[in-house]
Amino acid sequence: MIGFLHPAWLWALPAVGLPLVLHLVARRQPPTVPFPAVRYLQQVTRDHQRRLKLQHWLLLLVRTLLVLALVLAAAGPTVARDGLAGHAPASLVLILDNSPSSGAVTGGTPALERLRRAAREVLDKATAEDAIWLLTADGVARRAPIERLRATVDSLVPTEIRLDLGGALAVARDILVNEARPAEIVVLSDLQATALSPADVALPVVVGVPDLVPPANLGVAALDPGPQPWSPGANRVRVQLLGDSGRSSPMALLIGNRASRPQLGTVGAVVEARLDAPTPGWWPVTAEVDADEFRADDRRSTLVRVVPVARAQWDPADHYLDAAAVTLRAGGRLVDGTEVTLGWLGPGASVVPPPADLAAVGSLNRALERRGVPWRFGGPVAQPQRTDSGPLLGPTAVTRRFRLVNTGGAPRGVEATVGGDPWIVRSGNVVLVGSRFDPAWSALPTSAGFVPLVDALANRLVRGEQALLTGAPGGPILMPDAVDQVQGASRAWSVEGGAAWRAPASGVYYLRSGADTVGGLAVNLDPRESDLTPATRGEVRALWPGARVVPLADIRAAAFAAGARGHLRGPLLVLALLLGLTEVALASLRRKSA
Amino acid sequence: MATTHGAARLDLLDPFEVSQLGGLEVVTEGLVEGFLAGLHRSPRRGFSVEFAEHRMYQPGDELRYIDWKLLGRKDRLYVKQFEEETNLRAMVVLDSSGSMDWSGAPESRLSKFDYARRLAAALALVLVRQRDATGLVVFDDAVRAVLPPKASRAHWLRVVATLAMAAPGHLTAAAPALQGVVEKLRRRGLVVFISDLLLDQAPALHALKFLRHRGHAVLVLHLLDPAELELDGPAEVRYEDPESAAAVVLRPRDWAEVYSRTVNEVVSGWRHALRREGIRYHPIRTDLPFGRALREALVRPGGVA
Repeated sequence: MIGFLHPAWLWALPAVGLPLVLHLVARRQPPTVPFPAVRYLQQVTRDHQRRLKLQHWLLLLVRTLLVLALVLAAAGPTVARDGLAGHAPASLVLILDNSPSSGAVTGGTPALERLRRAAREVLDKATAEDAIWLLTADGVARRAPIERLRATVDSLVPTEIRLDLGGALAVARDILVNEARPAEIVVLSDLQATALSPADVALPVVVGVPDLVPPANLGVAALDPGPQPWSPGANRVRVQLLGDSGRSSPMALLIGNRASRPQLGTVGAVVEARLDAPTPGWWPVTAEVDADEFRADDRRSTLVRVVPVARAQWDPADHYLDAAAVTLRAGGRLVDGTEVTLGWLGPGASVVPPPADLAAVGSLNRALERRGVPWRFGGPVAQPQRTDSGPLLGPTAVTRRFRLVNTGGAPRGVEATVGGDPWIVRSGNVVLVGSRFDPAWSALPTSAGFVPLVDALANRLVRGEQALLTGAPGGPILMPDAVDQVQGASRAWSVEGGAAWRAPASGVYYLRSGADTVGGLAVNLDPRESDLTPATRGEVRALWPGARVVPLADIRAAAFAAGARGHLRGPLLVLALLLGLTEVALASLRRKSA
Repeated sequence: MATTHGAARLDLLDPFEVSQLGGLEVVTEGLVEGFLAGLHRSPRRGFSVEFAEHRMYQPGDELRYIDWKLLGRKDRLYVKQFEEETNLRAMVVLDSSGSMDWSGAPESRLSKFDYARRLAAALALVLVRQRDATGLVVFDDAVRAVLPPKASRAHWLRVVATLAMAAPGHLTAAAPALQGVVEKLRRRGLVVFISDLLLDQAPALHALKFLRHRGHAVLVLHLLDPAELELDGPAEVRYEDPESAAAVVLRPRDWAEVYSRTVNEVVSGWRHALRREGIRYHPIRTDLPFGRALREALVRPGGVA
């Protein structure tokens, strides 16, 4: 059977008719000239006409075949070498997809077991003269003798690293592109649709298609603990379930080892659950659903930082701030103390609105400079505006404000804006607010969001947020500048701040700077792994043009097709050259004959 | 009209230019005068030798006609003049088929038919001036006009009038016309066949041979337009025979060489076939001055006709 490396070129096949069209166009009626000596012309042409006609049709045939040969050569045809035992020495990259989804169990057998069996069949067909690379989900292509590759395949287990199959094909192409022997790529994968990406490798690709329907699945796709740090008491997490089971499932939430009240999760819906924070410190939070045939996504973890409520001081004369602080104190969200100053620049953490006496703005700016804060109160703005929506607060009317001016290069720590201008900014343990907490300045003090805002300012923002990173196993995670070590459950890794680090497995990690824990890292499965829906053959062919899709059971017969198939491009180009020379010779002969 | 003795001799001018000078009769007389003057001797050679008178010798006169006895008596050169008799009967057979009505360059060259009738008129005049009886047959696919041979000038004028009125026909049937000549020439005579020979060779050749076997001297003037000798033209042309409507499509550039070779072979074929039968044959291009055509037709090593 003939196959093509670039079948798109076959669309150019109608060009084969070009010589015939040109011939027909050239045969249009020429001008008629009266000529009495036509009998001489008849006598002249009589002897040559038959030969000329033969040459003419031969020329047309040669030109047609020439175009056909060129188009077919461009399409890169290959043909089976019937009757030959074995195959010619070949170079083959075997992509064995042991990504998390390969652990899904169907009919009591994990998908990876089927893939391993198919890989062994491919390796059984290989000979010592073949060059074989094994490319697994970790993205590393290993070339080794067949026996060692067989051992590697036997020991392979589902990994937590997601494999992008289009990327794997590109890696395989780079390996094979300079190989002199017939090259081929064999893909053994559960062909999870989300793992496919476009690839045009210009090499024979054989794709083994799983012969079983994957199991219905339900997994934890997202676990969001919200802004950090938490204060002791009730806090909320958001959990999202994904999968194709379409059902609900009991969901367990744990902080440390303490389980919360059981929740009921539904696929596709976001569930917000309450968790009571224990004592201050870093705590792992875990969401878990009942086990199913795909275990890897049944559990997801993250970290939270729990800190004590702020010990704050404020000016009781500042009526609206005082009312909010008193409310928070009554609710246990604040206690009296000097750790946090609300309303002016104190010695420690401070939430600083513009001073009541505008003449004091200059001395306040000088004090900020002495504290190393790169923000200053600029000129007043008396223009009714609204705050821009953000995570800290929604749209709020602002009638008076001071412009907040950054003096330290690129502005950082902007928490809220008005018309694009910074309105609430943070630097270290100092938070500046552009308006006073007074209805004459903004609608904030009289709005429902005022007390939660003061809570967030006093308990979270002004005390410095903790870095909480997320990532997937094997994926690059950019470390914050100060971090020099990542601490896992059983070991620690030295890292470089500002550089990427790849977590070896899912779980929670602590980011350290010297002896201090400065952040957390939650590494969980890529949520796309939860959707086990396989790609259709049409999708595979669309994304990988020219790929040969075969049932997994037929992979042994299909493998090494490149070595067992002859490439016809070379012979076709030689044929085209010969046809071109024949055309020139025939055309010249025709002129001479005439 | 140009004079026969002037600087411009009509018989040597381009035939097309000559045809522009006047009617068939006048022009023919002019070019025949020029032709005869160019021979440098009297063309009039009768078949009888009855003495008529003496006249003063003129350069160009043949020495054999000098009266040597009179030279002895008068010490002057006189030549003897003889009363000429009409004993040659000639028939001009003119092809007026459709193929003759063609010129490769109508703006500057006579059609074969126009050239042929002027040549026929000139031939007839030369013969009449020799006191030879001259007749005319015009044919295409049938005989269109017949004038029995006579030697008078009045008869030549009838010949001219007949030629002037003759119109080109369509197809060609030379054999019946040639065979009909036999009835008109009961004594041995001269048959001048003027044609482009674009006809079936076998029957025409058979008829010519028949004339020859009947003892007639036969002269074939094969008219050829220069454009028929070489192919030239645009990339591809459909050549159509005005007579038979047969057509051939070809690229002149591709066929020019082999075509020229074929035409030469055709001319050679006619020449060999006719000479084998003792028939004189002259291919004449239609751009050839009439004087040269007459010379080729009439002047033989031993004299005229």
